[in-house]
Amino acid sequence: MSSRRSSSSRGNISEDEINELISKLQALLPSSRRRGSGQASTTKLLKETCSYIKSLHREVDDLSDRLSDLMSTMDHNSPGAEIIRSILRS
Amino acid sequence: MARCQGTVESLCQGLLDLDDDRFSAMCSAFGYLQEWPDLGAMCGANLAVPAVAAAAAPSAGDGNDSSSCSGSGGIRKRRPDAYLDAKGGANDMSKRPRGKQLTGLSEIAAPGKGKQERPKAGTKKKAEAASTAAAAAAAAAAAAGQKTDYIHVRARRGQATDSHSLAERVRRERISERMRYLQELVPGCSKVTGKAGMLDEIINYVQSLQKQVEFLSMKIAASNPVVSFDIVEDLFGRQLKQAAALPAMALPAGQLEPSCLQMSPMQQVHPSAAAGGSTGFGLEMVVNNLYAPAAASCPVSAAPSVSAAAGPSTIEPCLNVNGTAAAWDIGAQNLFSGFDAQFQSVESDCLLDNLKMEM
Repeated sequence: MSSRRSSSSRGNISEDEINELISKLQALLPSSRRRGSGQASTTKLLKETCSYIKSLHREVDDLSDRLSDLMSTMDHNSPGAEIIRSILRS
Repeated sequence: MARCQGTVESLCQGLLDLDDDRFSAMCSAFGYLQEWPDLGAMCGANLAVPAVAAAAAPSAGDGNDSSSCSGSGGIRKRRPDAYLDAKGGANDMSKRPRGKQLTGLSEIAAPGKGKQERPKAGTKKKAEAASTAAAAAAAAAAAAGQKTDYIHVRARRGQATDSHSLAERVRRERISERMRYLQELVPGCSKVTGKAGMLDEIINYVQSLQKQVEFLSMKIAASNPVVSFDIVEDLFGRQLKQAAALPAMALPAGQLEPSCLQMSPMQQVHPSAAAGGSTGFGLEMVVNNLYAPAAASCPVSAAPSVSAAAGPSTIEPCLNVNGTAAAWDIGAQNLFSGFDAQFQSVESDCLLDNLKMEM
């Protein structure tokens, strides 16, 4: 019982922190931004975060692939490609 | 009790993907129904919903519950267990690990609780119930149903005391479940201890990912015209050589002057494009490449005109790639058909605008 109580108080503190961070996180998610500021459940939010991160991963991979494709197609034109590469690197 | 509620909520979570708000609303709606016998008769999922309501009600609105409560602990205890069991049985499919765990906990914890509060028959019952299977759970639910609403109230009241910890435990459990999942997704998150730190890390990571996506798409947008530049060079390199060889050479100096004048808008384009990034460089490249042969084959006065032609011609495909300016086709083609084609400074301005837009 006592352990439960202590865990609950601990939970409250972290809950506040979590709420704060959760709302921060919520602002980052496109879906929750759409839905408005209504407090969605934390679980849902984290679920959304998971899928959002996954989609971002996919997007980054896709874009990197495209970019590397672009770079590879440019390789024969070395002077132009070099310049472009230097630009992209910056 | 805590476990009971935990199970209940987990079940609820599994069955109904409700927000907390709706959840609590539903709970309060269900909470006062006195349909336990009926529900008890029903099995599995049907049972679960009211059970959820019962469990959730305390966590959501303790005030209501406690006010309506009159408490004798024994029944109270017994009842959650019954629900727990019922739920554990019903729940197994959806939340297997948790359900098991909770059931096990309830078995262990039940005696402890019984001691601390009042000694009751409930403890035994709990243990029994916990160990029983789904069928037994249904039976227990039916038994609980016989006790009807007053048990219900008590159960709530009993839960009211630990509802916070229970709800939080369940919530934290759910959160940590997700967090564990996120931990796999977010690099470096496993090093951070504590949910707050992890959330921080996740937020940072999401932000960095967003920036990365933005950055990459910007790069691609910037390098797209550059890519077309290869083709462009092939296409226009030829045309330009022709243009440089034929009309420019043939043109008297007087006629070249206007094309030299065209250089001024061109030069405006140039810096802005260069400032814009890769397109500008691509443009410069073309100009330089083409400039050399043109200068070699043309009189000095023709050289600027060639570079002037090269500029817009390079830009034209770039713009086409981005689907911005179809009008430029005309301008560039006019240019290629001969340097006498009137290359209005208006067009150059237009080009400038387009370029800027593109940037």
